[in-house]
Amino acid sequence: MSSETGFDPELYKRLPTREPRPEGELEQLEQVWCAPRKPWEWVTAINNNYIGVYYVGAAMLFFVLAGVLALLMRTQLALPMTGFLAQETYNQIFTMHGTVMMFLFAVPAVEALGVLLLPQMLGARDLPFPRLSAYAFWAYLIGGLCFFCSLFFGLAPNGGWFMYPPLTSVAYSPGINADFWLLGIGFIEISAIAGAIEIIVGVLKTRAPGMTLDKLPIFAWAMLIFACMIIIAFPSIILSTLLLELERALGWPFFDAARGGDPMLWQHLFWFFGHPEVYIIFLPAAGAMSTIIPAVAQTRLVGHRLVVLAMLATGFISFGVWAHHMFATGMPQISINYFSAASMAVSVPAGVQVFAWIATLAAGKMRFNTPGLFAVGGLVIFVMGGLTGVMVAMVPFDWQAHDSYFIVAHLHYVLIGGMVFPLFAAIYYWTPMSSARPLSERWGKWVFWLMFVGHNVTFLPMHLTGLMGMPRRVYTYLPDRGWDLPNMISTVGAFLFGLAVLIWLVDMIRNFRPFGRREAGNVFNGPGLEWLPAGLYSLRSIPVIKSLYPGWEQKGLAEDVEAGRYFLPGAPRGERETIVTSPLNAEPQYLLQIPRPSSWHVWGAVFTAGFFLILTIQAYLASVISGILAVYCILKWCWKLDRPDRREGGAAVVDVGAGVRLPTYVSGPTSHGWWAMVITLIVAGMVAVMAGFSYVFLWSRRPDLWQAPPETGSLIQVVGLCAAAALLAWVSLRALALDRPRSGVIAAVLMLLAGLAIGAGWAVEASAWWGAGLRPQASGQGATVFALIAWQGLFAAICAIMAVFALMRWVFGLLSARRPATYQLIALFIGFSAAQGAAAALLTHLFPGG
Amino acid sequence: MTTEPTPGTAGWPPPVLDPAGPFAGPIEVVAWVLFVMAAVVMTVVLIALGIALFGPRRWKRRVSGERLVWIGGLAFPIVVLTGLLIYGLTTTARVAEAPRPGEMRVRVTGEMWWWRVAYLDDQGREILQDANEVHIPAGQPVVFELESADVIHSFWVPRLGGKTDMIPGRRNFMRLQADQPGTYGGQCAEYCGGPHALMGLVVVAHTPQEFAAWRARQAGPAVALDAAAPTAAMIARGRDVFAASGCGACHTIRGTEANGLAGPDLTHVGSRQTIGAGILPNNQGTLAGWISDSQGIKPGNRMPSYPVLTGQDLRAVSAYLDSLK
Amino acid sequence: MRWGGQGEAGRTAAAALLALASAGLSACVDKADQPRPVAQGDPARGLAVIEAVGCAACHTIPGVAWPEGRSGGDLAGFGARPFIAGRLPNQPGVLTRWLIDAPSLDPGTAMPPMPLNQAQARDVAAYLYTLDDD
Repeated sequence: MSSETGFDPELYKRLPTREPRPEGELEQLEQVWCAPRKPWEWVTAINNNYIGVYYVGAAMLFFVLAGVLALLMRTQLALPMTGFLAQETYNQIFTMHGTVMMFLFAVPAVEALGVLLLPQMLGARDLPFPRLSAYAFWAYLIGGLCFFCSLFFGLAPNGGWFMYPPLTSVAYSPGINADFWLLGIGFIEISAIAGAIEIIVGVLKTRAPGMTLDKLPIFAWAMLIFACMIIIAFPSIILSTLLLELERALGWPFFDAARGGDPMLWQHLFWFFGHPEVYIIFLPAAGAMSTIIPAVAQTRLVGHRLVVLAMLATGFISFGVWAHHMFATGMPQISINYFSAASMAVSVPAGVQVFAWIATLAAGKMRFNTPGLFAVGGLVIFVMGGLTGVMVAMVPFDWQAHDSYFIVAHLHYVLIGGMVFPLFAAIYYWTPMSSARPLSERWGKWVFWLMFVGHNVTFLPMHLTGLMGMPRRVYTYLPDRGWDLPNMISTVGAFLFGLAVLIWLVDMIRNFRPFGRREAGNVFNGPGLEWLPAGLYSLRSIPVIKSLYPGWEQKGLAEDVEAGRYFLPGAPRGERETIVTSPLNAEPQYLLQIPRPSSWHVWGAVFTAGFFLILTIQAYLASVISGILAVYCILKWCWKLDRPDRREGGAAVVDVGAGVRLPTYVSGPTSHGWWAMVITLIVAGMVAVMAGFSYVFLWSRRPDLWQAPPETGSLIQVVGLCAAAALLAWVSLRALALDRPRSGVIAAVLMLLAGLAIGAGWAVEASAWWGAGLRPQASGQGATVFALIAWQGLFAAICAIMAVFALMRWVFGLLSARRPATYQLIALFIGFSAAQGAAAALLTHLFPGG
Repeated sequence: MTTEPTPGTAGWPPPVLDPAGPFAGPIEVVAWVLFVMAAVVMTVVLIALGIALFGPRRWKRRVSGERLVWIGGLAFPIVVLTGLLIYGLTTTARVAEAPRPGEMRVRVTGEMWWWRVAYLDDQGREILQDANEVHIPAGQPVVFELESADVIHSFWVPRLGGKTDMIPGRRNFMRLQADQPGTYGGQCAEYCGGPHALMGLVVVAHTPQEFAAWRARQAGPAVALDAAAPTAAMIARGRDVFAASGCGACHTIRGTEANGLAGPDLTHVGSRQTIGAGILPNNQGTLAGWISDSQGIKPGNRMPSYPVLTGQDLRAVSAYLDSLK
Repeated sequence: MRWGGQGEAGRTAAAALLALASAGLSACVDKADQPRPVAQGDPARGLAVIEAVGCAACHTIPGVAWPEGRSGGDLAGFGARPFIAGRLPNQPGVLTRWLIDAPSLDPGTAMPPMPLNQAQARDVAAYLYTLDDD
């Protein structure tokens, strides 16, 4: 095996070590990774063993809440023209059901599963950015709960979960209900993206040594693809929510056809996110299935490589199918045909996975425990959902089925079979690992059968209801349609499903009771690292991985790991640490110091959620204050990171076991911070690209409304200033690297100048367009050009904050040529902002030409 | 006389599977092909799963290899899907043929929460306005120009064809044909807020002769008042109440001063089968109920309730509207 | 009639569900007042006529789910009421005539003449007299 980083794989042969571990090593490890003791410490905790459980718990809370909404709707629809729910209430409830299930349950639930399981599966002590995931969690929980509570005040959004304008624009939704949706989704996007960054860096950089990509657990593959898809897809929903909010608040006509906008722009942007979203939800669940099925059948996954390729293919194809939600919008025939073909193609990788699961069950011997039942039940339901998916990919059939109850049935089969059942399988499978106490098998079987029967009784008749002509999203129906009976049956089924969830809930509460014995162990004989004996520090020592199923195939692994005979058996520097490895071959690279619990990220989350929520109720001053406090808290949190190591014995290189010595600090492209920044910038770049698409799209609709760009001189100035900013940032880095006595001050001043150049470029661009007479309210051109300018303005502001932050680091003596990571990231950000500003200016000035 | 409350909308047989014209017929065939496909695939999967779970060891071994994944997961779906795709594309092309010159045109505009209907001449000019009811000649394709006045709606008459969205700022086309005279129910399919659930419409197909007669009758003003009829006084009073109550601010009755454009054209309201956008039968009684309490019947709709009229005035207005045949 | 031939099965089942639900309520009704007989009136046909004509646009009528109109009186317990519209004797002949042409009996009423023939009016009356009590 050739080495990726220059690490000598021969060194692995020294492990497991044989000499006894030093006295007090385990005690120190336990001390460093101690559990919360005071009540407040349960809030500031950042260890994934806590945040992961909180996260899954919060997601399931929203599942139950949105499920209650579903039961209310089913009660209303049990009979025609009942008055159980008023029209407006029903409209709010169905909007919230969809929104909460998609944004507050499905995505966070699978992300939570990743946060909870990945470090354990990968043999890491924790995620690389535990405060970030804690921040994401708290922003999500606080924001989500407040968002949900809007229902109790009659202020919940009522435009359907895909919020099509113009129904959701000010003219037809003058209340703040729609703003709740737009801003409520805002911080959920932030937390989803934060989680995705965490997961990508975690999977690629914090695997146990030797866990090459071909030994990467299938669940981690799924989470990696999932996180990459979030990075590509979520920018589109970020942009669309921003644009709609700009239209609502300031009257910029992105979607208003009368003023040069186009409602179809929203549909393209929304579904470019919305369809991948379905696979974003499905893939991690499929990864869980591919993990659980081999465990219940006690055999290797058949076609492991094919399944990985299938998941990758799903990820790619899913970005080419968004318009199949729009077959009835009068799209050109050629586009319809393309999207029909792509939509059918996307079912092939799903078929590969289904047959891989069946083959695995045949290769082993199925044990009919609760996780196994949920896995098989989910498979059956998912196949049915896939088949109706093929049906609606057939355009003529879709013209009839679209927006009818047939679609309601289809999407619930796909999401419940593809996500909810696998999630329940995962909960039943991994709870013994997480709480060291298995859920009841007897109750579990009741839960499964009630849920399986309840699901089919609810949703199978809906296919027929749809073909009988019942449109979706109706708060009632007339008595003479013949829809009474199938609706009554669906309602009965829904309550069976609800009963199943209730039983499960009772069992969960029983399980997580804080007393009683906990010693479940590896109850399902799972093969993954997560089943090795572990404490809050995760594994006692991080093993060398030689197999895809180390628990089954590496003999004596559990004993050696527990005895500390592998890497990092203690906390060599008395801090929370984990090993960073290379992305392909997982060769040890350096020792990552993980931050300790803190309250800054919690306050940051509180004020971030506060900013969005207060903005919704239009208390602008309070909102701005909350926003400033959020920024302050986040800066405070960053301030404590990446500090010179002044402690005694802060050696640059430490022995992580068996004489393998790793550096304790790296910067540049090897470092985890660099990866996170690059991923963040990809998100930002995608938003800008989608904004550019919006510009071109609106032009294609109404070229007659386009006015000439400002004179060329302004373009040259903007591009020149952006280039200068990038150059200054680069020179600043070089100056710092020289490590002369005055390097620090020169570098800091140059960075400040770079930030100023970004701001100047932005100001020139904005005033040039304003001077040319373009107004954002005037046309699609005005709206999109100023949207791009506003987006760049946000970046100019962040550049300015970062440049000042860099200066402050120098003032307080925290800037050193040997600790340049923070500084590099600032330069990277400024470089990106320069490129983005120049690209936006070039597009808007040169296209479509004078 | 006792017309159905919402004609042609009964749910059984499922209208999607009970097509009444050449633009819905092929879709029914597609639907059955798809049902059979789904049943076959589901059976194959269940058999494979059954063998995997409960089968004898010899059978299990046959489905336990990667070969199953290649055949079942890749080859089989690709063959089936390619076939379906070709079939789907050809059917799409057939069902969604472009309009031909000389075909009758109707413009339907989605409004919150009713349908504005206009019949067009060859040059695309509006020659007739109506609401919530589209009359077409049977046995020939009719081109529907679909627009929206406010938010997105979707035009769906399942027995005649698929649905097409009505999008502000755009004009979509759809051809529909009813082979036999009859009444075909439809409903808005795209959620459009408020009482979206109660936004129905009716398509009435006539024989060509009947249609020509209908059109001639509609083109004129409402039938002149027959002064000799016993109801004449009541109708005349209703006309005055209608004018005095300001109904004309929103409604047009051709040949009178009522020329409002916000609500449905009422010139021939008495000849329609339904009121309230396909939700109530049309007679003096339901008209009176609708006028006095439209918000109770269809909450959130744009017509205010008129609880200010006396009983006699209310009766007079409904008698007047009912007389506009 | 409105359900078409093939719809009969679905409708019967739905009706059975409703009937089961209402049976429990009607079982305890004390039949002090006998329903007024309407010659040749069939309550079942009457209900169909009521639905088809849309009486519920103005009246809340037990057995008709929608629209529960509020313009006219609530007809629950109509069979036991002494008066029609508060002023006419509630007798089958009067009621039948009232249904067809209410203004002829009370010029001030808001209830318009309804498009019913004698037979239909008798059916409707028969149904209304089954609305004995709540």
